[in-house]
Amino acid sequence: MTGHAQKLEVSSLTVTGDGGRRLLCVDSLTIAAGSAVVVRGPSGAGKSTFLYALAGMIAPETGQIRWGETDIAPLPEPARAAFRRRNMGFVFQEHLVFEELSAPENAAIAALYSGRADRGRIRDRAAAELARLGLDGVGTRRSDTFSGGERQRIAVARALAGGPGIILADEPTASLDRDNADRLARDLVTLARTEGRTLIAVSHDPALHERADRLIDIVDGRLLEAADG
Amino acid sequence: MDEIYHALPNWAQDVLVTLGLLTPLLVVGLIVLRGFHVGPLLLGLLRRQVWISAVFTALIAVSVALGTGLIAQERGLRQGTARAADKFDLVIAAPGSEITAMLAAVYLQPSDLPLLDGATYAEIAAHPRVSLVAPLGFGDSWRDAPVVGTTAGFVDHLSEGLAAGRPFTAEDEAIAGARVALEIGDSFAPAHGVGDAAEHGAHGDFAYRVVGKMPMTGSPWDRALMVPIESVWSVHGLANGHGPDWDGDIGPPFSPAHFPGTPAALVRAESLGATYSLQAEFSTAQTMAFFPGSVLARLHALMGDIRQVMSVLAVITQVLVTAGVLAGLMMLTRLLARRLALLRALGAPRRFVFALTWSYAATLILTGAAIGLLLGIAASFAIAAAITARTDIVVAATLGWPEIHLVAGFVSLTGLLALLPAYLTMTRPVITDLRG
Repeated sequence: MTGHAQKLEVSSLTVTGDGGRRLLCVDSLTIAAGSAVVVRGPSGAGKSTFLYALAGMIAPETGQIRWGETDIAPLPEPARAAFRRRNMGFVFQEHLVFEELSAPENAAIAALYSGRADRGRIRDRAAAELARLGLDGVGTRRSDTFSGGERQRIAVARALAGGPGIILADEPTASLDRDNADRLARDLVTLARTEGRTLIAVSHDPALHERADRLIDIVDGRLLEAADG
Repeated sequence: MDEIYHALPNWAQDVLVTLGLLTPLLVVGLIVLRGFHVGPLLLGLLRRQVWISAVFTALIAVSVALGTGLIAQERGLRQGTARAADKFDLVIAAPGSEITAMLAAVYLQPSDLPLLDGATYAEIAAHPRVSLVAPLGFGDSWRDAPVVGTTAGFVDHLSEGLAAGRPFTAEDEAIAGARVALEIGDSFAPAHGVGDAAEHGAHGDFAYRVVGKMPMTGSPWDRALMVPIESVWSVHGLANGHGPDWDGDIGPPFSPAHFPGTPAALVRAESLGATYSLQAEFSTAQTMAFFPGSVLARLHALMGDIRQVMSVLAVITQVLVTAGVLAGLMMLTRLLARRLALLRALGAPRRFVFALTWSYAATLILTGAAIGLLLGIAASFAIAAAITARTDIVVAATLGWPEIHLVAGFVSLTGLLALLPAYLTMTRPVITDLRG
C-alpha cells in the first residue's frame, strides 16, 4: 500500500533560532500533490531548516504547514513524529544508515517501532524497494561494507519502505560521486513520479534540478523565487 | 498473607523474595519495551560499542562479585566453624576467656591457658551425669601439626571410629589426623612449642609411633597428632597422672594427687539436659564451663552484624559503581546521539529511543550481574580453599539465596536508575544531534 501524495500549503511561516534570530520566513507557498520540487540556495540560507520544518522536526514560531488536511505546525512533537512516521520518508545527506545492521534491516528499520500488524508489510516493502534499487541479494552483509552510493540507496529504500506519500531529501547526492549521484537523482524522481509521491529535495545538484517539476530558491531564509520547472 | 508465606518451604519463600525483588525491573521492562522490537538495533549498538560495553559490564561484574563473594564466604566460614565445633558439647577450663579457651580446645590455636587442677578434674570425672571427660594437653608439635595429649576415649568420640589402625594403648603411640603426612608405622619426635618457636630435640630421643589414622572431620583436628596425655606430661618432666600403684594402662582414671593439670577438658554429658546442668554446676570461681557452640554463636552474631554492615557497604559499592557506569552511559549516549537522532528524525517515537537506551543499559547490568555472580562464586571457592588450607576448617562456598537476593535487588535498583540516562536521551535536540 502506498500513502497518498499530499498537497503542501505553507503560510505565514517563521522559524527562529537561538537568541530569537529569524532563520526562515515563508509568506505563502503551495506545492501540488505528486510533484517533484527541488529547493536550492547558498549555504546557510535556510534550506535544511525549511525541510526540517516541513518534516515537523522543527516547531515553527508562527504559521501553518498544512499537508493535505493536516496542519502539523501546532502539533506537539510526538504527534508530528507520528505524522512523519505514517506519511513521510526522509533521505539525509551523508547516507546515514545504521552501519552495523544489514541492508534489509536498515531499510525495514521502521518495523522495529511500528505496530505488529505493520511489521510484515514494512519488511516486504523494504525488500521490494531494495530490489528495485539494485540491492537485492545482499543478504546479511553489514551496511558499513557497502559503498557510499549503495548506502544512500539503502537510505532511499528505507525512506520508501513505509509507503509514504511524501519524500523529503536533504542533499541526497552531495556525498556521492557523479555516477552514483546521477543514478540516485534519477531513482528518486522516478520512484516519486511512478507512484505519485510528493518529492521535496534540498540540493545543489544540477542532475536533480533538471529532473524537478519545480525549483524553489531560498536566500537568507526567504523564498525569493519560486519558478515552475 | 503472612501466615501463608511462613507456611511455605524455605526454597519457596526464597523464590518469592527473589521474584519480589525482580518485580520492579520486570514491570518497568514490560512497560518500557511494550510494542517495540528493539533486538536488532540493541545488538547493533552492543556490537558497535563492544569494548566500551565490555568495560562497563566488567565494572558491574567486579562489583557484584565482591558483594556475592563476601556473603558466600562469610556463610561458608560460619558453617565450617560450627561444623568443626560439633563434637565439643561442653568445655571446662580454668577461669579466663571463653573465646581463648575455645580457640585452643576446638580450633587448636596456640594459647597460654591456666590449668585445671587434679581435684577439679576428678570432681568432673566422678560426676554421675558425665559420660565422657577427656583432658586436652597442648604445647608440642611435629612440623606444622600440633601434638595434643588426650585419651583414647576422646579420639573415639572425635573420630566416631578410626579410619585405619587402632587406638593408642601405650605412651609412645599416636593417632594421626587425616591430613597429617604420617602413615601407620611411621615415627616422629615431638618438638616443644609450635611454629617458628618450636624447640626440636627438647624432649630428647622420645618418639611416637603412629598406630591409627583418623577419618576426615573437616576441622583443625585433621592436621593434629593425638597422643596419650600421660606422655605429654612425662616428656615435660611432670607426673604422668597416675600414682605409684598404676598398672601401666594409659587413660583414666587419673590420680588427683599426680595430675599435673590440663588447660581444658572436654565433657560429654549423658543427655542434653545434663549438659546444661553441668555447665551451670561448673561455672564457678574455680572453673569456667562453656558451650563452644554458644561462644561461636556469639562470635557469629558479631560476624553477622559485621556481615550486615559489609552487605550494606557491598550494595553501596555496587550502586556507586553502577552510578558511575550509568554516568558513563550518559556520555556513551552522546556518542550514540546522532544515531538516536536519526531514529527520531525517521519518525520513531521518543519512547522507542527511550526503550532502546534503557534496554542497552539493562543488558549491560544484567550481563554484568550474571558474570559477577559466577565470578563471586568462583572467587569464593578459591578463598574457601585457601582458608581450608590455612585453618583446616572445611569452608564450603556455595551459591546461596542471600547472594541471589543481593543480585536481584541490585539488578532491580540499577535497572530503575538506568531510566535516567534513557530519559535524558529522549530530551536531546534532534536537529543538533543529527548534524553531529
